[in-house]
Amino acid sequence: MDELRLKESFARAAAYGDEVALFFYSHLFLGHPELREMFPVSMADQRDRLLSALGQIVADVSSQEDLVPYLAGLGRDHRKFGTLAEHYPAVGASLLATLAHFNGMAWTEDLARDWTEAYTVIAAVMTEAAAEDEGLHPPWWGATVVGHERRTMDIAVLRVAPEVPFSYVPGQSVAVESEARPRLWRFYSMANAPRHDGTIDFHVRAIDGGPVSCALARSVAVGARLRMGAPVGTLRLDMASRRSVVLAAGSTGLAPLKAMIEQASGLAEPPRVHLVFGARTAAELYDLPDLEKMAAQWPWLTVTPTVSAEPQYRGETGTVADVIGRRVPLTDHDAYVCGSSAMVTATVNRLQSLGMPQNRIYIEDFGWSES
Amino acid sequence: MTRVSSEPMTPELVRSAAFTPARLGRRGLDEGEVRAFCGRVSDELARLLSSNTVLQEEVLRLRGRLLDRAGKPGVRPEDGHVQAVYMLSRAQKTADRCVADAQEYSRELAEDARMRRDEILREAKVRASMILEEAHASASKAAQAARDAPEPLPAAELQGLQAEIAYLRTFSDVCRTHLRAYMESLARSIELWERAEHEGASTAKRSVLHSSQHALSRNATHLWCRMR
Repeated sequence: MDELRLKESFARAAAYGDEVALFFYSHLFLGHPELREMFPVSMADQRDRLLSALGQIVADVSSQEDLVPYLAGLGRDHRKFGTLAEHYPAVGASLLATLAHFNGMAWTEDLARDWTEAYTVIAAVMTEAAAEDEGLHPPWWGATVVGHERRTMDIAVLRVAPEVPFSYVPGQSVAVESEARPRLWRFYSMANAPRHDGTIDFHVRAIDGGPVSCALARSVAVGARLRMGAPVGTLRLDMASRRSVVLAAGSTGLAPLKAMIEQASGLAEPPRVHLVFGARTAAELYDLPDLEKMAAQWPWLTVTPTVSAEPQYRGETGTVADVIGRRVPLTDHDAYVCGSSAMVTATVNRLQSLGMPQNRIYIEDFGWSES
Repeated sequence: MTRVSSEPMTPELVRSAAFTPARLGRRGLDEGEVRAFCGRVSDELARLLSSNTVLQEEVLRLRGRLLDRAGKPGVRPEDGHVQAVYMLSRAQKTADRCVADAQEYSRELAEDARMRRDEILREAKVRASMILEEAHASASKAAQAARDAPEPLPAAELQGLQAEIAYLRTFSDVCRTHLRAYMESLARSIELWERAEHEGASTAKRSVLHSSQHALSRNATHLWCRMR
Protein backbone atom coordinates (compact mmCIF):
# COMPACT_ATOMS: atom_id res chain seq x y z
CA MET A 1 0.00 0.00 0.00
CA ASP A 2 1.49 3.30 -1.10
CA GLU A 3 0.56 5.79 1.59
CA LEU A 4 1.63 8.86 -0.34
CA ARG A 5 -0.42 7.80 -3.37
CA LEU A 6 -3.36 7.21 -1.07
CA LYS A 7 -3.07 10.66 0.46
CA GLU A 8 -2.71 12.35 -2.92
CA SER A 9 -5.78 10.66 -4.33
CA PHE A 10 -7.79 11.63 -1.28
CA ALA A 11 -6.62 15.24 -1.52
CA ARG A 12 -7.68 15.35 -5.18
CA ALA A 13 -11.19 14.24 -4.24
CA ALA A 14 -11.37 16.30 -1.05
CA ALA A 15 -10.76 19.44 -3.09
CA TYR A 16 -14.39 19.11 -4.24
CA GLY A 17 -15.47 19.54 -0.62
CA ASP A 18 -19.09 18.86 0.21
CA GLU A 19 -19.69 17.42 -3.29
CA VAL A 20 -17.62 14.37 -2.40
CA ALA A 21 -19.71 13.45 0.62
CA LEU A 22 -22.89 14.27 -1.28
CA PHE A 23 -21.89 11.88 -4.06
CA PHE A 24 -20.86 9.20 -1.57
CA TYR A 25 -24.20 9.16 0.28
CA SER A 26 -26.28 9.36 -2.89
CA HIS A 27 -24.29 6.44 -4.31
CA LEU A 28 -24.77 4.48 -1.09
CA PHE A 29 -28.53 5.09 -0.87
CA LEU A 30 -29.15 4.29 -4.52
CA GLY A 31 -27.50 0.92 -4.07
CA HIS A 32 -28.96 0.31 -0.61
CA PRO A 33 -32.15 2.33 -0.12
CA GLU A 34 -32.77 0.56 3.22
CA LEU A 35 -29.81 2.44 4.73
CA ARG A 36 -31.37 5.85 4.12
CA GLU A 37 -33.61 5.68 7.19
CA MET A 38 -30.60 5.37 9.47
CA PHE A 39 -29.86 9.02 8.71
CA PRO A 40 -31.65 12.31 9.45
CA VAL A 41 -33.58 14.22 6.79
CA SER A 42 -30.94 16.92 6.48
CA MET A 43 -27.57 15.40 5.67
CA ALA A 44 -25.49 18.61 5.84
CA ASP A 45 -23.94 17.89 9.26
CA GLN A 46 -23.55 14.24 8.38
CA ARG A 47 -21.46 15.11 5.32
CA ASP A 48 -19.22 17.39 7.38
CA ARG A 49 -18.70 14.57 9.86
CA LEU A 50 -17.87 12.04 7.13
CA LEU A 51 -15.33 14.35 5.51
CA SER A 52 -13.62 15.20 8.78
CA ALA A 53 -13.49 11.52 9.80
CA LEU A 54 -12.04 10.51 6.42
CA GLY A 55 -9.55 13.38 6.61
CA GLN A 56 -8.47 12.26 10.07
CA ILE A 57 -8.07 8.63 8.96
CA VAL A 58 -6.05 9.54 5.88
CA ALA A 59 -3.86 11.96 7.85
CA ASP A 60 -3.09 9.28 10.44
CA VAL A 61 -2.72 6.42 7.99
CA SER A 62 1.00 6.10 8.71
CA SER A 63 0.67 6.21 12.52
CA GLN A 64 -1.14 3.07 13.57
CA GLU A 65 -0.98 3.94 17.29
CA ASP A 66 -3.22 6.98 16.69
CA LEU A 67 -5.41 5.48 14.03
CA VAL A 68 -6.44 2.24 15.71
CA PRO A 69 -7.93 3.79 18.87
CA TYR A 70 -9.68 6.41 16.74
CA LEU A 71 -11.23 3.77 14.48
CA ALA A 72 -12.14 1.56 17.42
CA GLY A 73 -13.96 4.49 19.04
CA LEU A 74 -15.71 5.22 15.76
CA GLY A 75 -16.79 1.58 15.47
CA ARG A 76 -18.19 1.49 19.02
CA ASP A 77 -19.85 4.86 18.52
CA HIS A 78 -21.65 3.66 15.39
CA ARG A 79 -23.48 0.92 17.29
CA LYS A 80 -26.08 3.38 18.54
CA PHE A 81 -26.92 4.33 14.94
CA GLY A 82 -27.80 0.70 14.29
CA THR A 83 -24.69 0.05 12.19
CA LEU A 84 -24.04 -3.67 11.66
CA ALA A 85 -21.06 -5.57 10.28
CA GLU A 86 -22.93 -6.30 7.06
CA HIS A 87 -23.23 -2.59 6.29
CA TYR A 88 -19.48 -2.14 5.94
CA PRO A 89 -18.96 -3.68 2.46
CA ALA A 90 -21.68 -1.45 0.97
CA VAL A 91 -20.00 1.62 2.47
CA GLY A 92 -16.64 0.48 1.10
CA ALA A 93 -18.01 0.03 -2.40
CA SER A 94 -19.55 3.51 -2.41
CA LEU A 95 -16.38 5.04 -0.98
CA LEU A 96 -14.31 3.53 -3.78
CA ALA A 97 -16.81 4.60 -6.44
CA THR A 98 -16.74 8.15 -5.04
CA LEU A 99 -12.96 8.37 -4.99
CA ALA A 100 -12.78 6.93 -8.50
CA HIS A 101 -15.35 9.41 -9.73
CA PHE A 102 -13.60 12.49 -8.33
CA ASN A 103 -10.11 11.32 -9.28
CA GLY A 104 -11.31 11.01 -12.86
CA MET A 105 -8.52 10.04 -15.18
CA ALA A 106 -6.04 9.91 -12.29
CA TRP A 107 -7.78 6.81 -10.92
CA THR A 108 -5.77 3.66 -11.56
CA GLU A 109 -5.97 -0.03 -10.80
CA ASP A 110 -3.18 0.43 -8.23
CA LEU A 111 -5.14 3.12 -6.45
CA ALA A 112 -8.22 0.93 -6.42
CA ARG A 113 -6.14 -1.83 -4.83
CA ASP A 114 -4.61 0.54 -2.24
CA TRP A 115 -7.98 1.87 -1.21
CA THR A 116 -9.57 -1.58 -1.07
CA GLU A 117 -6.77 -2.72 1.19
CA ALA A 118 -7.00 0.40 3.38
CA TYR A 119 -10.76 0.15 3.71
CA THR A 120 -10.58 -3.53 4.62
CA VAL A 121 -8.33 -2.62 7.55
CA ILE A 122 -10.56 0.30 8.60
CA ALA A 123 -13.69 -1.86 8.49
CA ALA A 124 -11.98 -4.69 10.37
CA VAL A 125 -10.87 -2.44 13.23
CA MET A 126 -14.29 -0.80 13.46
CA THR A 127 -16.32 -4.02 13.36
CA GLU A 128 -13.99 -5.76 15.80
CA ALA A 129 -14.29 -2.92 18.31
CA ALA A 130 -18.06 -2.97 17.88
CA ALA A 131 -18.18 -6.74 18.39
CA GLU A 132 -16.06 -6.49 21.56
CA ASP A 133 -18.34 -3.75 22.85
CA GLU A 134 -21.37 -5.91 22.17
CA GLY A 135 -20.40 -8.19 25.04
CA LEU A 136 -20.27 -5.23 27.42
CA HIS A 137 -23.03 -2.81 26.49
CA PRO A 138 -26.29 -2.64 24.58
CA PRO A 139 -26.02 -0.60 21.35
CA TRP A 140 -28.07 2.10 23.06
CA TRP A 141 -30.01 2.65 26.27
CA GLY A 142 -33.72 3.43 26.15
CA ALA A 143 -34.90 5.89 28.78
CA THR A 144 -38.17 7.48 29.84
CA VAL A 145 -38.55 11.08 30.90
CA VAL A 146 -39.82 11.03 34.49
CA GLY A 147 -39.40 14.72 35.28
CA HIS A 148 -39.39 17.88 33.19
CA GLU A 149 -38.97 21.24 34.91
CA ARG A 150 -38.79 24.41 32.87
CA ARG A 151 -36.62 26.67 34.97
CA THR A 152 -36.62 29.62 32.53
CA MET A 153 -38.05 30.29 29.08
CA ASP A 154 -35.09 28.44 27.57
CA ILE A 155 -33.71 26.14 30.23
CA ALA A 156 -35.23 22.88 31.39
CA VAL A 157 -34.01 20.21 33.77
CA LEU A 158 -34.97 16.73 32.59
CA ARG A 159 -34.93 13.65 34.78
CA VAL A 160 -34.82 10.37 32.88
CA ALA A 161 -35.00 6.76 34.00
CA PRO A 162 -32.94 4.37 31.85
CA GLU A 163 -34.60 1.02 31.17
CA VAL A 164 -31.43 -0.93 31.87
CA PRO A 165 -28.68 0.14 34.29
CA PHE A 166 -26.47 2.85 32.80
CA SER A 167 -23.14 3.35 34.53
CA TYR A 168 -20.94 6.39 34.07
CA VAL A 169 -18.47 8.60 35.86
CA PRO A 170 -19.52 12.13 36.96
CA GLY A 171 -18.20 14.61 34.39
CA GLN A 172 -19.04 12.39 31.43
CA SER A 173 -21.63 13.11 28.77
CA VAL A 174 -23.80 11.06 26.49
CA ALA A 175 -25.34 11.33 23.02
CA VAL A 176 -29.09 11.71 23.34
CA GLU A 177 -31.77 11.19 20.70
CA SER A 178 -35.39 12.12 21.27
CA GLU A 179 -38.23 10.32 19.53
CA ALA A 180 -39.46 13.83 18.70
CA ARG A 181 -36.36 14.32 16.48
CA PRO A 182 -35.31 10.90 15.23
CA ARG A 183 -31.73 10.33 14.00
CA LEU A 184 -30.45 13.55 15.54
CA TRP A 185 -28.05 12.92 18.38
CA ARG A 186 -26.73 15.64 20.69
CA PHE A 187 -24.39 15.39 23.65
CA TYR A 188 -25.55 16.24 27.17
CA SER A 189 -23.71 15.82 30.46
CA MET A 190 -25.11 13.81 33.32
CA ALA A 191 -25.83 16.43 36.00
CA ASN A 192 -25.76 14.11 39.01
CA ALA A 193 -23.59 11.42 40.53
CA PRO A 194 -25.08 7.93 39.96
CA ARG A 195 -28.16 7.42 42.15
CA HIS A 196 -29.63 4.30 43.71
CA ASP A 197 -32.76 4.58 41.56
CA GLY A 198 -30.60 5.03 38.44
CA THR A 199 -32.27 8.27 37.35
CA ILE A 200 -30.21 10.85 35.48
CA ASP A 201 -30.65 14.63 35.21
CA PHE A 202 -29.88 16.64 32.08
CA HIS A 203 -29.70 20.44 31.95
CA VAL A 204 -30.95 21.55 28.55
CA ARG A 205 -30.80 25.04 27.13
CA ALA A 206 -32.92 25.63 24.02
CA ILE A 207 -30.64 27.10 21.37
CA ASP A 208 -32.42 29.36 18.88
CA GLY A 209 -33.21 27.25 15.82
CA GLY A 210 -31.67 24.13 17.39
CA PRO A 211 -34.00 21.24 16.54
CA VAL A 212 -32.96 18.88 19.34
CA SER A 213 -32.36 21.32 22.19
CA CYS A 214 -35.66 23.13 21.54
CA ALA A 215 -37.57 19.85 21.49
CA LEU A 216 -35.93 18.66 24.72
CA ALA A 217 -36.40 21.97 26.51
CA ARG A 218 -39.93 22.76 25.34
CA SER A 219 -41.94 19.96 23.72
CA VAL A 220 -40.70 16.82 25.49
CA ALA A 221 -42.93 15.88 28.46
CA VAL A 222 -43.00 13.29 31.21
CA GLY A 223 -43.44 9.88 29.63
CA ALA A 224 -41.50 10.74 26.47
CA ARG A 225 -38.85 8.29 25.37
CA LEU A 226 -35.19 8.99 24.65
CA ARG A 227 -32.28 6.90 23.49
CA MET A 228 -28.79 7.33 24.89
CA GLY A 229 -25.47 6.14 23.53
CA ALA A 230 -22.56 4.98 25.66
CA PRO A 231 -21.13 7.55 28.11
CA VAL A 232 -18.15 9.46 26.73
CA GLY A 233 -15.73 12.15 27.81
CA THR A 234 -12.61 12.28 29.90
CA LEU A 235 -13.61 15.17 32.16
CA ARG A 236 -13.62 13.81 35.70
CA LEU A 237 -12.64 14.75 39.21
CA ASP A 238 -8.99 13.94 39.91
CA MET A 239 -9.44 11.94 43.09
CA ALA A 240 -5.72 11.54 43.67
CA SER A 241 -5.16 15.30 43.81
CA ARG A 242 -4.89 16.78 47.30
CA ARG A 243 -5.43 20.31 45.98
CA SER A 244 -8.49 22.52 46.39
CA VAL A 245 -10.88 22.71 43.49
CA VAL A 246 -12.32 25.67 41.60
CA LEU A 247 -15.26 24.89 39.32
CA ALA A 248 -16.15 27.39 36.59
CA ALA A 249 -19.64 26.87 35.19
CA GLY A 250 -21.21 28.92 32.39
CA SER A 251 -24.98 28.40 32.23
CA THR A 252 -25.86 24.72 31.58
CA GLY A 253 -22.13 23.94 31.59
CA LEU A 254 -22.94 23.54 35.27
CA ALA A 255 -24.24 19.99 34.67
CA PRO A 256 -21.01 17.90 34.74
CA LEU A 257 -19.54 20.08 37.51
CA LYS A 258 -22.62 19.58 39.69
CA ALA A 259 -22.26 15.83 39.21
CA MET A 260 -18.65 16.14 40.36
CA ILE A 261 -19.68 18.08 43.49
CA GLU A 262 -22.12 15.29 44.36
CA GLN A 263 -19.34 12.79 43.79
CA ALA A 264 -17.00 14.75 46.10
CA SER A 265 -19.67 14.68 48.82
CA GLY A 266 -19.27 10.93 48.94
CA LEU A 267 -15.55 11.12 49.71
CA ALA A 268 -14.22 10.57 53.20
CA GLU A 269 -12.36 13.88 53.00
CA PRO A 270 -13.88 16.09 50.32
CA PRO A 271 -11.55 18.77 48.92
CA ARG A 272 -12.38 22.45 49.38
CA VAL A 273 -14.57 23.27 46.37
CA HIS A 274 -15.40 26.76 45.13
CA LEU A 275 -18.04 26.81 42.39
CA VAL A 276 -18.46 30.00 40.36
CA PHE A 277 -21.74 29.77 38.46
CA GLY A 278 -22.29 32.40 35.76
CA ALA A 279 -25.27 33.43 33.64
CA ARG A 280 -26.41 36.49 31.75
CA THR A 281 -29.19 37.47 34.14
CA ALA A 282 -30.25 36.53 37.66
CA ALA A 283 -33.29 34.69 36.27
CA GLU A 284 -30.95 32.45 34.28
CA LEU A 285 -29.14 31.22 37.39
CA TYR A 286 -31.54 28.34 36.94
CA ASP A 287 -30.15 25.96 39.55
CA LEU A 288 -29.08 28.37 42.28
CA PRO A 289 -31.58 27.30 44.99
CA ASP A 290 -30.36 23.71 44.77
CA LEU A 291 -26.70 24.77 44.77
CA GLU A 292 -27.24 26.99 47.81
CA LYS A 293 -28.87 24.08 49.59
CA MET A 294 -25.80 21.98 48.84
CA ALA A 295 -23.47 24.73 50.07
CA ALA A 296 -25.47 25.04 53.30
CA GLN A 297 -25.24 21.30 53.84
CA TRP A 298 -21.56 20.83 52.98
CA PRO A 299 -19.09 23.19 54.69
CA TRP A 300 -16.32 22.40 52.18
CA LEU A 301 -18.40 23.85 49.32
CA THR A 302 -18.65 27.55 48.43
CA VAL A 303 -20.99 28.72 45.69
CA THR A 304 -20.61 32.15 44.09
CA PRO A 305 -23.18 33.09 41.46
CA THR A 306 -22.41 35.85 38.98
CA VAL A 307 -24.43 37.70 36.38
CA SER A 308 -22.85 39.31 33.31
CA ALA A 309 -25.66 41.38 31.76
CA GLU A 310 -27.56 42.82 34.72
CA PRO A 311 -25.53 45.58 36.40
CA GLN A 312 -28.17 46.17 39.10
CA TYR A 313 -27.82 42.56 40.37
CA ARG A 314 -27.00 42.64 44.07
CA GLY A 315 -24.40 39.86 44.02
CA GLU A 316 -21.24 39.49 41.93
CA THR A 317 -21.41 40.85 38.40
CA GLY A 318 -19.20 40.08 35.41
CA THR A 319 -18.04 36.90 33.71
CA VAL A 320 -17.03 33.73 35.52
CA ALA A 321 -13.40 34.56 34.69
CA ASP A 322 -13.79 38.03 36.28
CA VAL A 323 -15.20 36.57 39.48
CA ILE A 324 -12.53 33.89 39.79
CA GLY A 325 -9.90 36.61 39.46
CA ARG A 326 -11.68 38.69 42.12
CA ARG A 327 -12.92 36.15 44.61
CA VAL A 328 -10.87 32.95 44.46
CA PRO A 329 -7.29 33.21 45.74
CA LEU A 330 -5.71 30.59 43.49
CA THR A 331 -3.04 29.24 45.76
CA ASP A 332 -3.02 25.53 45.13
CA HIS A 333 -5.98 24.58 43.00
CA ASP A 334 -7.22 22.33 40.24
CA ALA A 335 -9.69 24.03 37.90
CA TYR A 336 -12.57 22.47 35.98
CA VAL A 337 -14.21 24.64 33.32
CA CYS A 338 -17.43 23.98 31.41
CA GLY A 339 -19.68 26.24 29.36
CA SER A 340 -19.96 27.68 25.86
CA SER A 341 -16.76 27.57 23.81
CA ALA A 342 -16.34 31.35 24.21
CA MET A 343 -16.73 31.07 27.99
CA VAL A 344 -14.29 28.15 28.22
CA THR A 345 -11.65 29.94 26.15
CA ALA A 346 -11.95 33.16 28.16
CA THR A 347 -11.85 31.35 31.50
CA VAL A 348 -8.89 29.13 30.61
CA ASN A 349 -6.95 32.17 29.36
CA ARG A 350 -7.68 34.01 32.59
CA LEU A 351 -6.68 31.06 34.77
CA GLN A 352 -3.40 30.79 32.90
CA SER A 353 -2.71 34.49 33.21
CA LEU A 354 -3.37 34.13 36.95
CA GLY A 355 -0.51 31.65 36.99
CA MET A 356 -2.34 28.34 36.94
CA PRO A 357 -0.37 25.65 35.07
CA GLN A 358 -2.18 24.18 32.05
CA ASN A 359 -2.08 20.63 33.39
CA ARG A 360 -4.26 21.61 36.35
CA ILE A 361 -7.02 23.00 34.13
CA TYR A 362 -9.56 20.42 33.05
CA ILE A 363 -12.07 21.01 30.25
CA GLU A 364 -14.41 18.73 28.34
CA ASP A 365 -12.71 17.16 25.33
CA PHE A 366 -16.01 17.29 23.47
CA GLY A 367 -19.65 16.83 24.09
CA TRP A 368 -20.81 20.37 24.76
CA SER A 369 -23.87 20.63 22.56
CA GLU A 370 -24.38 23.83 20.62
CA SER A 371 -27.54 23.05 18.69
CA MET B 1 -16.67 35.11 16.01
CA THR B 2 -17.58 32.26 18.28
CA ARG B 3 -17.37 29.47 15.71
CA VAL B 4 -14.38 27.32 15.03
CA SER B 5 -12.48 28.57 11.97
CA SER B 6 -11.85 25.06 10.62
CA GLU B 7 -15.55 24.55 9.92
CA PRO B 8 -16.32 24.46 6.19
CA MET B 9 -17.75 27.74 4.94
CA THR B 10 -21.42 27.31 4.10
CA PRO B 11 -24.13 29.85 3.31
CA GLU B 12 -25.81 28.93 6.62
CA LEU B 13 -22.59 29.53 8.53
CA VAL B 14 -22.14 32.97 6.99
CA ARG B 15 -25.75 33.91 7.65
CA SER B 16 -25.75 32.82 11.26
CA ALA B 17 -22.25 34.07 12.07
CA ALA B 18 -22.21 35.58 15.55
CA PHE B 19 -19.70 38.25 16.48
CA THR B 20 -18.60 39.18 19.96
CA PRO B 21 -19.80 42.72 20.73
CA ALA B 22 -17.06 45.31 21.08
CA ARG B 23 -16.10 46.11 24.66
CA LEU B 24 -17.60 49.21 26.16
CA GLY B 25 -15.71 52.28 25.13
CA ARG B 26 -14.27 50.59 22.04
CA ARG B 27 -15.60 51.26 18.61
CA GLY B 28 -17.75 48.49 17.11
CA LEU B 29 -19.52 47.94 13.80
CA ASP B 30 -23.16 48.57 13.07
CA GLU B 31 -24.79 45.18 13.65
CA GLY B 32 -27.47 45.71 11.01
CA GLU B 33 -24.87 46.48 8.35
CA VAL B 34 -22.80 43.43 9.25
CA ARG B 35 -25.92 41.23 9.14
CA ALA B 36 -27.02 42.63 5.79
CA PHE B 37 -23.56 42.05 4.36
CA CYS B 38 -23.42 38.48 5.69
CA GLY B 39 -26.83 37.90 4.10
CA ARG B 40 -25.48 39.00 0.72
CA VAL B 41 -22.33 36.91 1.08
CA SER B 42 -24.47 33.92 2.06
CA ASP B 43 -26.73 34.31 -1.00
CA GLU B 44 -23.74 34.66 -3.28
CA LEU B 45 -22.06 31.62 -1.75
CA ALA B 46 -25.24 29.58 -2.21
CA ARG B 47 -25.44 30.68 -5.86
CA LEU B 48 -21.80 29.82 -6.47
CA LEU B 49 -22.14 26.43 -4.81
CA SER B 50 -25.18 25.50 -6.84
CA SER B 51 -23.59 26.63 -10.10
CA ASN B 52 -20.54 24.67 -9.03
CA THR B 53 -22.67 21.52 -8.84
CA VAL B 54 -24.01 22.12 -12.34
CA LEU B 55 -20.50 22.74 -13.65
CA GLN B 56 -19.25 19.57 -11.95
CA GLU B 57 -21.86 17.55 -13.74
CA GLU B 58 -20.90 19.17 -17.03
CA VAL B 59 -17.19 18.53 -16.46
CA LEU B 60 -17.79 14.91 -15.63
CA ARG B 61 -20.07 14.45 -18.63
CA LEU B 62 -17.46 15.99 -20.95
CA ARG B 63 -14.70 13.98 -19.31
CA GLY B 64 -16.73 10.83 -20.00
CA ARG B 65 -17.11 11.81 -23.63
CA LEU B 66 -13.38 12.46 -23.91
CA LEU B 67 -12.69 9.01 -22.47
CA ASP B 68 -15.07 7.52 -25.04
CA ARG B 69 -13.23 9.27 -27.88
CA ALA B 70 -9.94 8.02 -26.47
CA GLY B 71 -10.83 4.53 -27.47
CA LYS B 72 -13.64 3.42 -25.18
CA PRO B 73 -16.62 3.67 -27.48
CA GLY B 74 -20.26 3.42 -26.44
CA VAL B 75 -22.16 4.44 -23.34
CA ARG B 76 -20.55 3.12 -20.16
CA PRO B 77 -22.90 1.25 -17.85
CA GLU B 78 -21.97 3.42 -14.85
CA ASP B 79 -22.97 6.62 -16.69
CA GLY B 80 -26.64 6.03 -15.96
CA HIS B 81 -25.82 5.35 -12.34
CA VAL B 82 -23.77 8.56 -12.09
CA GLN B 83 -26.74 10.50 -13.48
CA ALA B 84 -28.96 8.94 -10.85
CA VAL B 85 -26.44 9.77 -8.13
CA TYR B 86 -26.44 13.40 -9.22
CA MET B 87 -30.21 13.50 -9.31
CA LEU B 88 -30.44 12.12 -5.78
CA SER B 89 -27.71 14.54 -4.68
CA ARG B 90 -29.70 17.47 -5.97
CA ALA B 91 -32.84 16.26 -4.22
CA GLN B 92 -30.85 15.87 -1.00
CA LYS B 93 -29.45 19.38 -1.35
CA THR B 94 -32.96 20.75 -1.79
CA ALA B 95 -34.07 18.94 1.34
CA ASP B 96 -31.02 20.21 3.24
CA ARG B 97 -31.77 23.73 2.11
CA CYS B 98 -35.41 23.46 3.24
CA VAL B 99 -34.37 22.19 6.67
CA ALA B 100 -31.66 24.84 6.96
CA ASP B 101 -34.10 27.59 5.96
CA ALA B 102 -36.68 26.36 8.46
CA GLN B 103 -34.06 26.27 11.20
CA GLU B 104 -32.79 29.69 10.23
CA TYR B 105 -36.32 31.05 10.29
CA SER B 106 -37.00 29.55 13.69
CA ARG B 107 -33.67 30.94 14.95
CA GLU B 108 -34.58 34.43 13.74
CA LEU B 109 -38.06 34.19 15.24
CA ALA B 110 -36.71 33.01 18.57
CA GLU B 111 -34.04 35.69 18.60
CA ASP B 112 -36.56 38.36 17.74
CA ALA B 113 -38.98 37.12 20.39
CA ARG B 114 -36.21 37.13 22.99
CA MET B 115 -35.20 40.66 22.04
CA ARG B 116 -38.77 41.86 22.35
CA ARG B 117 -39.24 40.10 25.65
CA ASP B 118 -36.09 41.75 26.99
CA GLU B 119 -37.28 45.11 25.67
CA ILE B 120 -40.72 44.73 27.26
CA LEU B 121 -39.15 43.72 30.55
CA ARG B 122 -36.74 46.63 30.37
CA GLU B 123 -39.55 49.08 29.64
CA ALA B 124 -41.66 47.64 32.43
CA LYS B 125 -38.75 48.01 34.82
CA VAL B 126 -38.20 51.62 33.75
CA ARG B 127 -41.91 52.35 34.11
CA ALA B 128 -42.08 50.69 37.50
CA SER B 129 -39.13 52.66 38.77
CA MET B 130 -40.71 55.85 37.34
CA ILE B 131 -43.96 55.16 39.19
CA LEU B 132 -42.01 54.47 42.33
CA GLU B 133 -40.06 57.68 41.93
CA GLU B 134 -43.27 59.65 41.37
CA ALA B 135 -44.76 58.14 44.49
CA HIS B 136 -41.64 59.05 46.44
CA ALA B 137 -41.69 62.57 45.04
CA SER B 138 -45.34 63.19 45.91
CA ALA B 139 -44.86 61.69 49.34
CA SER B 140 -41.92 63.92 50.11
CA LYS B 141 -43.81 66.90 48.68
CA ALA B 142 -46.70 66.19 51.05
CA ALA B 143 -44.29 65.84 53.91
CA GLN B 144 -42.69 69.18 53.02
CA ALA B 145 -46.08 70.89 52.81
CA ALA B 146 -47.02 69.53 56.20
CA ARG B 147 -43.74 70.78 57.64
CA ASP B 148 -44.34 74.28 56.21
CA ALA B 149 -47.97 74.62 57.46
CA PRO B 150 -48.71 76.21 60.97
CA GLU B 151 -48.21 73.59 63.55
CA PRO B 152 -51.47 71.68 64.11
CA LEU B 153 -52.22 70.11 67.46
CA PRO B 154 -50.91 66.66 67.93
CA ALA B 155 -53.67 64.09 67.64
CA ALA B 156 -53.36 62.88 71.22
CA GLU B 157 -53.73 66.35 72.61
CA LEU B 158 -56.71 67.03 70.35
CA GLN B 159 -58.41 63.89 71.52
CA GLY B 160 -57.76 64.84 75.15
CA LEU B 161 -59.31 68.23 74.65
CA GLN B 162 -62.35 66.78 72.92
CA ALA B 163 -62.85 64.41 75.83
CA GLU B 164 -62.55 67.36 78.24
CA ILE B 165 -65.21 69.28 76.29
CA ALA B 166 -67.59 66.34 76.37
CA TYR B 167 -66.95 65.93 80.07
CA LEU B 168 -67.63 69.60 80.78
CA ARG B 169 -70.83 69.47 78.78
CA THR B 170 -72.08 66.52 80.81
CA PHE B 171 -70.93 68.20 84.01
CA SER B 172 -72.92 71.36 83.25
CA ASP B 173 -76.03 69.20 82.65
CA VAL B 174 -75.46 67.45 85.95
CA CYS B 175 -74.98 70.80 87.70
CA ARG B 176 -78.21 72.14 86.32
CA THR B 177 -80.13 69.04 87.43
CA HIS B 178 -78.65 69.22 90.90
CA LEU B 179 -79.31 72.96 91.14
CA ARG B 180 -82.94 72.38 90.21
CA ALA B 181 -83.27 69.66 92.81
CA TYR B 182 -81.64 71.95 95.35
CA MET B 183 -84.04 74.78 94.56
CA GLU B 184 -87.00 72.46 94.79
CA SER B 185 -85.94 71.02 98.10
CA LEU B 186 -85.26 74.57 99.41
CA ALA B 187 -88.76 75.63 98.33
CA ARG B 188 -90.25 72.57 99.98
CA SER B 189 -88.32 73.26 103.18
CA ILE B 190 -89.55 76.83 103.22
CA GLU B 191 -93.09 75.63 102.70
CA LEU B 192 -92.80 73.10 105.51
CA TRP B 193 -91.24 75.63 107.75
CA GLU B 194 -94.05 78.16 107.14
CA ARG B 195 -96.63 75.49 107.89
CA ALA B 196 -94.89 74.59 111.10
CA GLU B 197 -94.78 78.21 112.14
CA HIS B 198 -98.53 78.35 111.65
CA GLU B 199 -99.03 75.29 113.80
CA GLY B 200 -96.55 76.53 116.34
CA ALA B 201 -94.99 73.15 117.11
CA SER B 202 -91.33 73.69 117.92
CA THR B 203 -90.29 70.06 117.66
CA ALA B 204 -91.68 69.86 114.18
CA LYS B 205 -89.94 73.11 113.38
CA ARG B 206 -86.65 71.66 114.51
CA SER B 207 -86.93 68.45 112.58
CA VAL B 208 -87.95 70.20 109.36
CA LEU B 209 -85.09 72.61 109.77
CA HIS B 210 -82.74 69.75 110.38
CA SER B 211 -83.86 67.70 107.35
CA SER B 212 -83.78 70.62 104.96
CA GLN B 213 -80.32 71.62 106.20
CA HIS B 214 -79.23 68.06 105.68
CA ALA B 215 -80.58 67.93 102.09
CA LEU B 216 -78.94 71.25 101.26
CA SER B 217 -75.58 70.27 102.57
CA ARG B 218 -75.74 66.92 100.76
CA ASN B 219 -76.41 68.65 97.45
CA ALA B 220 -73.68 71.17 98.04
CA THR B 221 -71.14 68.48 98.92
CA HIS B 222 -72.12 66.58 95.83
CA LEU B 223 -71.66 69.60 93.60
CA TRP B 224 -68.40 70.45 95.26
CA CYS B 225 -67.04 67.00 94.62
CA ARG B 226 -68.02 67.06 90.96
CA MET B 227 -66.45 70.47 90.51
CA ARG B 228 -63.15 69.15 91.64
